Amino acid sequence: MSTMDCNELWQKVLGEVELQISRPNFITWFKNSSILEKKDGTVTIGLPNNFAREWVENKYHNTIFGTLRTIDSGIRKVEYILTKDSAKLSSNTKKTSSTQPYGDSSSQMMFNEIIIDPNTNLNPHHTMNSFIVGSSNEMAYAAATGILKEIGTKYNPLFIYGGVGVGKTHLMQALGNEIVKLYHGKVRARYITSEKFMNEVIWGMKNKRMESVKEKYRAIDVLIIDDIQFIAGKARTEEEFFHTFNALYEERKQIIISSDRSPKFIPVLEERLRSRFEGGMIVDIGYPDFELKAAVLRAKLAEKKADLSDEVIAEIVNKVKKGFRELEGILNRILFYQQVKNLIITPKLAEQIIAEVIKTPQKNIHPDVIIQTVSDFFEVPTADIMSHSRKQQVVEPRQIAIYLLRDILDLSYPFIGEKLGKRDHTTVLYAYEKISQEMTRNQTLNQKILSIKEILNKAYV
Amino acid sequence: MKLIVFRDNLKNGLLAAERAVADSSNLPILKNVLLKTVGNKIQLTTTNLELAITKLISGKIVEEGALSVPFSTFYSIVNNTTHDRINLERSESSFMVKTDNYEAKMQGSSAEDFPLVPRMESMDHYMEIDPVFFQDALQQVISAAHISDIRPEISGVLFDFQMTSLKLVATDSFRLAEKVIDGGRFKHTFEAGFKAIVPLRTAQELLRVISRTTPLLVHCDGNQMLFTSDDVELMSRLIDGTYPDYEQIIPKDAETEIALDKAHLMNAVKLVSNFSGKTNDVRLSTDIEGKTVTVHSVNQFLGENKYLIPARVTGAQITDIPFNWRYLLDGLKSIQGDSVVLRLNGNNRPALMRPESDISFLYVVMPIRV
Repeated sequence: MSTMDCNELWQKVLGEVELQISRPNFITWFKNSSILEKKDGTVTIGLPNNFAREWVENKYHNTIFGTLRTIDSGIRKVEYILTKDSAKLSSNTKKTSSTQPYGDSSSQMMFNEIIIDPNTNLNPHHTMNSFIVGSSNEMAYAAATGILKEIGTKYNPLFIYGGVGVGKTHLMQALGNEIVKLYHGKVRARYITSEKFMNEVIWGMKNKRMESVKEKYRAIDVLIIDDIQFIAGKARTEEEFFHTFNALYEERKQIIISSDRSPKFIPVLEERLRSRFEGGMIVDIGYPDFELKAAVLRAKLAEKKADLSDEVIAEIVNKVKKGFRELEGILNRILFYQQVKNLIITPKLAEQIIAEVIKTPQKNIHPDVIIQTVSDFFEVPTADIMSHSRKQQVVEPRQIAIYLLRDILDLSYPFIGEKLGKRDHTTVLYAYEKISQEMTRNQTLNQKILSIKEILNKAYV
Repeated sequence: MKLIVFRDNLKNGLLAAERAVADSSNLPILKNVLLKTVGNKIQLTTTNLELAITKLISGKIVEEGALSVPFSTFYSIVNNTTHDRINLERSESSFMVKTDNYEAKMQGSSAEDFPLVPRMESMDHYMEIDPVFFQDALQQVISAAHISDIRPEISGVLFDFQMTSLKLVATDSFRLAEKVIDGGRFKHTFEAGFKAIVPLRTAQELLRVISRTTPLLVHCDGNQMLFTSDDVELMSRLIDGTYPDYEQIIPKDAETEIALDKAHLMNAVKLVSNFSGKTNDVRLSTDIEGKTVTVHSVNQFLGENKYLIPARVTGAQITDIPFNWRYLLDGLKSIQGDSVVLRLNGNNRPALMRPESDISFLYVVMPIRV
């Protein structure tokens, strides 16, 4: 007997029972009840808790059995069992609920292990509603919402890239949460960072349990994998990911990937993986513009129940060059001055505080390291950068290297010229100024430079 | 039904059953208490369909029977009457409460309409434990539990039973308390370990109503737990779901380890908290030689204060790690013994607190973000 018939049958029984007992009784005892199975003359009725089971079995068995018999005389037995899914504790314990027992301090930190849903690994705080859309992220947002309706078919894989703190993780987690909500857990979503994925692969190899790692990932309907660039160059992890990717892709399961740069610019990523990524939808999230930063800042202020003048907001937004994480760091610092030190925040004071927070990149990086990093990033040999070649794919990395040597290390133009294949200092000056100007107009260039700076910062802090 | 009961017996019985009376429900009968004669005792039962409390009291049974009456009215009468003896009598569906100079006639409901307390699937498997020890252990962790909207799974106390030990764990996602009860402390007939999340309300009742003189029996069948001791029985539903992997939360190492006098630290936290603002923060620092801990707090309107405590500090020096002082105090109150060890890991990671001489208890707390 199909579920539909079971449903219909149960509705008829309920209709009968409802006539015989009071409304409150009916609601209390028959809420979330159902016929789970009808087989060989035995009907199995599921009830959400022990109290209801005890009561229904003892008080209404005759009515239920009688009604069932009049519909289907083949029924000889009724069994009552507990259904687990709705056994959450109900209304009357909820009264005392507030998230925090003492005070309402939004700055009290929580254990991550508890906020995060163990089944999906998603943080429920990230929602689509709290994702603020602006010109730099509207493409990514549109792609994400597109997926919601057609999981696995519309954009697969979805590859989101952008710098640190522009909201990739937020968007991906929000998408995951939305999917879970929309499909009521019928779609199994799982979020994982590529680092964690790598650790699991290593664990699997070490303990000879690769099979269970494989199974775990292949049973997922929506795989969300963050910061994929970290698996580049890790041969075994890349291979395992490739196979997982293929297995999921073939079954039209949705794959969502993020990275700090476009697949083109991930060095040492295996070609076959790169082409897989490029086969889906690639969207970038740029560094936010003024309006978006201001909107996010205001939303954060509202969340923290704090207030700052428009001038201060403008000052912060202008000074923050990068993503929202930096923005939040600065905001927290300013609010600390405002609330704890009880200072009135003027644009001037804000400027000072910001200067304290924004770290100037480390000055003790060796110039060769910068050149090497640029060369790795663009996959152009250092020899070419040093050479006098005028090919487009060499010229840009060379100019960027010059810019970074000047910007980060503040080296003299003649020295930089000397370093990069005995060039004239005017050539260096020209390159530096060109890139400086170009950066304000060209998002892609800006992005590349910030990515390289991040790599440098990560490696040498 | 016809009974004669001493006022104090009846009052104590009703008090024990009080918290399982539903405060609001579709079903008015849940606001009632069921009175029923069982052998030569009177049984009082209340339930909110999550927890059921049954209490036996003694009294003279003239005529057997059963009936349920509204709890709060009945309790008010019993509580306020000045006479020692109370006569209870059922005639038809009305219920007479009589003393020498007082008489009330209440509307009762047939015992047939009162919910049945579910039975355990099997009574063969249970644990027997000293109630005083058990209550003390539960008391140590319960302050860390809180009803949570985000994760209903943590709105209770985890009973993590592993044949040779029973761990009680509670967390509200900001702090976590764990107490390990060693297998030598109990006898049991379970065939396998289990994890059960006991609702906070049930845990609170366990502290309140179970007898401290007769051994406590704990039964569990996966859906519900039954606690029986002497003349009280608590039948409780369990919270469905998977408890978070709490062992991951407990920090394994520490950048800074501090050993100090518990009473001193408690006093410091209480005193210094006078200047902490809405965020409830007090800040911990150590000196460069590792000989003292400073607890201090600043308030924009009041000023600031600090308290210096001699301590043995090993590892990195710490400066101004802020904690919610109430969380610190809750943890300290749960710690038995004179000295306490704090294990800290900077500003952003959880800190651990435990008695210096006892490894069966620990308390983990997150700092406040700066």
